[in-house]
Amino acid sequence: MSADHKPASPRRPVLRPVVDSVTTIASDGSRRDLHPADVHGRFTTARRWSGWALIAFYLVLPWIPVNGHPAVFLDIAERRFHFFGYTLAAQDTWLLFFGVSGLGFALFFLTALFGRLWCGWACPQTVYLEHVYRVIERWIDGDATERRALSAAPLTAAKAVKRVAKHGLYVLASLLITHLFLSYFVSLPEVWHMMRSAPGEHWAAFVFVFGAAGVLYFNFAWFREQLCIVICPYGRLQSALTDDHSLSIGYDARRGEPRGKLGTPDAGACVDCNRCVQVCPTGIDIRHGLQLECIGCAACIDACDEVMAKVKRPAGLIRYDSFAGLGGGLTRWVRPRTILYGVLLGVGISVAAFAFTTVKPANFLVFRTGGASYFVGPDDVRNQFMVRLVNKRTVPATFIVSSEGLPDGLHQSGFETPVTLAPMAESVSPLVLVARRRDYHGPFKFTVRVRDDAQTFTLAREVEFMGPDARLLEDDEHGKQEKKHKEEHDPKG
Amino acid sequence: MSSTPQPPEDPGIKLRDHVYDGIQEYDQRLPNWWLYTLYGAIVFWVVYWFAYMIAGIMPTDGSRVDTAMAGINAAKMASSIDVTNDDKFWEMSANAVFTDAGKQTFTSLCTPCHLPSMRGKSENPAAVGPDLTDTAWIHGGTPKELYATVAKGVLAKGMPAWEPVLGQKKTAEVVAYILSHHQKGETITVEVPK
Repeated sequence: MSADHKPASPRRPVLRPVVDSVTTIASDGSRRDLHPADVHGRFTTARRWSGWALIAFYLVLPWIPVNGHPAVFLDIAERRFHFFGYTLAAQDTWLLFFGVSGLGFALFFLTALFGRLWCGWACPQTVYLEHVYRVIERWIDGDATERRALSAAPLTAAKAVKRVAKHGLYVLASLLITHLFLSYFVSLPEVWHMMRSAPGEHWAAFVFVFGAAGVLYFNFAWFREQLCIVICPYGRLQSALTDDHSLSIGYDARRGEPRGKLGTPDAGACVDCNRCVQVCPTGIDIRHGLQLECIGCAACIDACDEVMAKVKRPAGLIRYDSFAGLGGGLTRWVRPRTILYGVLLGVGISVAAFAFTTVKPANFLVFRTGGASYFVGPDDVRNQFMVRLVNKRTVPATFIVSSEGLPDGLHQSGFETPVTLAPMAESVSPLVLVARRRDYHGPFKFTVRVRDDAQTFTLAREVEFMGPDARLLEDDEHGKQEKKHKEEHDPKG
Repeated sequence: MSSTPQPPEDPGIKLRDHVYDGIQEYDQRLPNWWLYTLYGAIVFWVVYWFAYMIAGIMPTDGSRVDTAMAGINAAKMASSIDVTNDDKFWEMSANAVFTDAGKQTFTSLCTPCHLPSMRGKSENPAAVGPDLTDTAWIHGGTPKELYATVAKGVLAKGMPAWEPVLGQKKTAEVVAYILSHHQKGETITVEVPK
């Protein structure tokens, strides 16, 4: 089969991945470094631009103010979360459920349709590795052949300079990423302020930024594809989410096999040039079919198309296609799985949209004051509540608190005038309800309502006015009158 | 066993001897970096165990809580005032800084029961709280007794305990504000609660 294959030169050993083991782990457990070859083509170009756009998006967001706050600002200190001018408070954390589950359903749906599109095109691991760190490496160390030679070469002054330059740039890039990351939580001016003061004044932030930069440096300088192959859970979930009609990157064995060098009689389209293996960032041979290691980066598609163009054969020997498509059949886009995931996503989006639009710019709580649940005075029955108001907005707000559904004759004190709260402030004030005995007919429920003075929203809570059974009070009343009557007629007692 | 498993592509890959239902098991090494995380965890455990349990270099959670509580108590003591000193309260009641702050707290928390005029039932018999401007007191009328009433409350009658809510300083300011409606040395009477 490969009898005519020339022995590999020591400078360029031919990588022949097998499906039985992971290419990047040698049989003694040591790491085998990959030096993926340069590749050019439409997918590579598109990925580079989309990757840089994503990085720019990440770098720029904290710099753009919307409504006086950075576009995305997860303000830990104030517990306020700003998203493009939309502010959420700590009390709205329950919405996170929809954020996380929405992301999950969207990923389910996209995975069932398009396979590992996320991994190859949008995952930060791939985006930063391919479009920042490998770019630095390519610039300092040269192409795959030069990199392989350099790593095999003994340490000379020239090599040391290159290593220091490369790893120095890695560290710089990692620090830049983590400083920007911190700014999402404390804002840029605060990051800048911390950067100019001693680490001792903000140990937690300092350790976080440098620790995280260390993790990023280790990950992107050395760990790389091991994260995708060994650690990432999404890669493992794939097989449960995809089927024969999900898009993946595949090799058209019907067209390609039997592979053979140009001129081999009865050979298929594959010329066995091994380019698809050389460019693979996870070190697999896509011709073995879909494998766990494949992150769907499409480098092998571009590599193969380039070769096919050179040998004047149609492109697409390796392409985005489903198993069904590669087997000569038709890809079915509408199938029970995609319908189910689509419906789940649709339901999730609808509920999330409803939840997000019902978020109120204030929060309030009514609770009973400590002590007894109710107080029975000589003439009345009394309930005492505390009302906690939270202004979630970043501007002062005036709130009107009222009770509704109170029976006649009930006296309310507290909240006679509107309450004005500073931005993001909260207050706790009493609300006292007094029912005269003759108006009291047992416990009842009523509603406490909060409106803002501009009437843009209302919040309501049902509260119970508690008290004894009304008949007990009547008996008590009779008893008192009898006693009084007795005293009047028998002054000596 | 009818089906024999396919031999691995790479002759360097070892298979274990046993076969169940035609399934064989690879005998491959873990990545070294993975093993190092295990060895690292073992080393960490030894260091951790030594530092916490043997050498006592690192403070335990309990002692850290104690230290933090001691710090909080020290800060409280440093800023606390003697709430049993009647003269101190009278001094505060003559100082607008305290009475203004006290009035603010009184207005937001006390007026539903004691009314903005502080006259409670004397002004409106339907009001919940008693008059705080007259010289007749129910739970004692000296400044330190007043402070105790506001701080601890009279739970049976519905007067909440305010010190846990307001803290000592604000509670004392409220007492100073109430005292600003009184004269030092005035004759007071204490009613026996009905």
